[in-house]
Amino acid sequence: MHPGAWWLWAIGLAVAVSQTTNPLVLLLAAAAVTFVVMARRSDSPWARAFTLYAVLGGFIIALRLVLHVLVGLKWGEVLLLPLPEIDLPSWAAGINLLGDLRLEGLLAALFEGMRLAAMILCVGAANALADPKRLLAALPGALQEIGTAIVVAISVAPQLAESARRVHRARLLRGDGARGLRAVARVAMPVLEDTLERSMALAASMDSRGYGRRGETSPARHRTTGALTLGGLLGMAVGSYGILDTSSPEWVGLPLLLLGVLLGALGLASGSSAVSRTTYRPSPWRLPETITALCGVLAALAAFASAHWEPSTLTMPLSPIGPPPLPWLLTLGLLVAILPAVLTPAPPLTRERDRARRITTTEGSHP
Amino acid sequence: MSVSPRRTAIELRPRAVVAIAITSIAGLFAFLWPLFVSPDSGLSHSGDAPLVFAAILIGVLAVVLAEVSDGGLDTKAVAMLGVLSAVGAALRPLGAGTAGMETVFFLLILSGRVFGPGFGFVLGATTLASSALITAGVGPWLPFQMLAAAWVGLGAGLLPRTKGATEIVLLCAYGAVSGLLYGAALNFSFWPFTVQGEQALSFVAGAPIAENLTRFLAFDLATSLGWDLVRAVTNVVLIAVTGRPILASLRRAARRASFSSA
Repeated sequence: MHPGAWWLWAIGLAVAVSQTTNPLVLLLAAAAVTFVVMARRSDSPWARAFTLYAVLGGFIIALRLVLHVLVGLKWGEVLLLPLPEIDLPSWAAGINLLGDLRLEGLLAALFEGMRLAAMILCVGAANALADPKRLLAALPGALQEIGTAIVVAISVAPQLAESARRVHRARLLRGDGARGLRAVARVAMPVLEDTLERSMALAASMDSRGYGRRGETSPARHRTTGALTLGGLLGMAVGSYGILDTSSPEWVGLPLLLLGVLLGALGLASGSSAVSRTTYRPSPWRLPETITALCGVLAALAAFASAHWEPSTLTMPLSPIGPPPLPWLLTLGLLVAILPAVLTPAPPLTRERDRARRITTTEGSHP
Repeated sequence: MSVSPRRTAIELRPRAVVAIAITSIAGLFAFLWPLFVSPDSGLSHSGDAPLVFAAILIGVLAVVLAEVSDGGLDTKAVAMLGVLSAVGAALRPLGAGTAGMETVFFLLILSGRVFGPGFGFVLGATTLASSALITAGVGPWLPFQMLAAAWVGLGAGLLPRTKGATEIVLLCAYGAVSGLLYGAALNFSFWPFTVQGEQALSFVAGAPIAENLTRFLAFDLATSLGWDLVRAVTNVVLIAVTGRPILASLRRAARRASFSSA
């Protein structure tokens, strides 16, 4: 699967979730996301991160509730817990600590927290499903060198532990048995030296394999790229001010922002055309990718449709407290978002493949 | 390869300087948007503003990084970026979670100091990006973190030249200030988002800046000022303890790669 498809799907779901504080819908969305992740995640290390995101979501809800109890504005009819109210001096902008805890205010805070947690869960799903290395391979040519640096970083980072172990062993063999902070200091510097040394060797081997080679660009082309990128940046900068400040002319907002994005994209394309490179094992964009991305977009559209035609169903009635209604359109959209769990190919089980490879290659090929 | 006078690891051509300047302006809007937003703007109520700006910043970062690396980076600079990002990314989980002990910035500051502002700018972005990819921490916060870290690295490269103990003191001071500002800036951009519906802490679009700043300070105190202080102290301690040997080691590497170093 192309990683971009999973990201589009997750962003669509996050946008859909951001439109509602209805606990029923939020739980449904969380269930949908979790189901797809369980069905389609690989056994790679980053796939396990989904659990961490679930924990983070719980932490966010807890933090939101604690904030409400501490400084929130407690409103509602049903008294839960009588607490003393502490007034702060006037410079604190009228913030009061504690105060009687009431059910309606607490529920509202809980639902706001749940919405944020559900959005975090969508981000976690994208992280668990999309392969980061393939994401980097999909970068445009103009960002090739930055992408290469990140690929180097991702592959070197795990080797640092091995490097630290080697230095530590060498120290022990010399009879240097320092422990604690002193040992850390004595291991860290050789590891850093080792790493910097490695960068030199790496650069030499990259040079010999033709990395960093760029095709010839005409000065005119170079100037065009520059004009496009700088124009694009300027459009995005001024445009982002325009969408904030409504007193500026109409065209300074969204139109200028979109123009900036367009110019920037053209600039990237123009810069990429100067780079001739081939991709090893490119990720193709086929039917499953289109379906996955489309499901996410449909979920977002369903949320907007619900907001337009049945806005009252997107929140739970709190004064007085009533049962949460069910927005039909959004629910339908969330059900569509589950489809990738069955309509995409199952991820290959890398663990079995690696095990097979490890058996076929000789052990101890590394020094 | 030319044997002409030594160049810094990533040369900032005039066009790249202009690109970074415009990026910084866009970044200021993205970070400080609660101060600029008008009450009747579509972004003032929805709480989606950080997500919108995250999307804009992705575009801005892609374009500015392409512009900085336009015309080709030296492979030695790419390899150096890679391994230093790897060290940063490996250091980050060591401190993360334990009360804001952020162990990534001291190396970024020292490297920016040695290899120059252009290298520092790119290193800040690549370190945070690779760290997020390794720990599966990609999210709407990543563009903000990348830009803020890029600023930290850029600023470290722009510090005035000094020698010996003064240099360490200067870098320590910079570490403290940048650690505090980094935390405050990231908090600020996501502040209205995290406390939606909580009048006492959330911002009021169009209200006087002083009033909004007071509310922000209350939010900051309630959530993360402690973490930011610990991050600043971590920076100072790590730079003071390891600054001298690491600077020497990085300068040696720069000399071997025939980069000019500060």
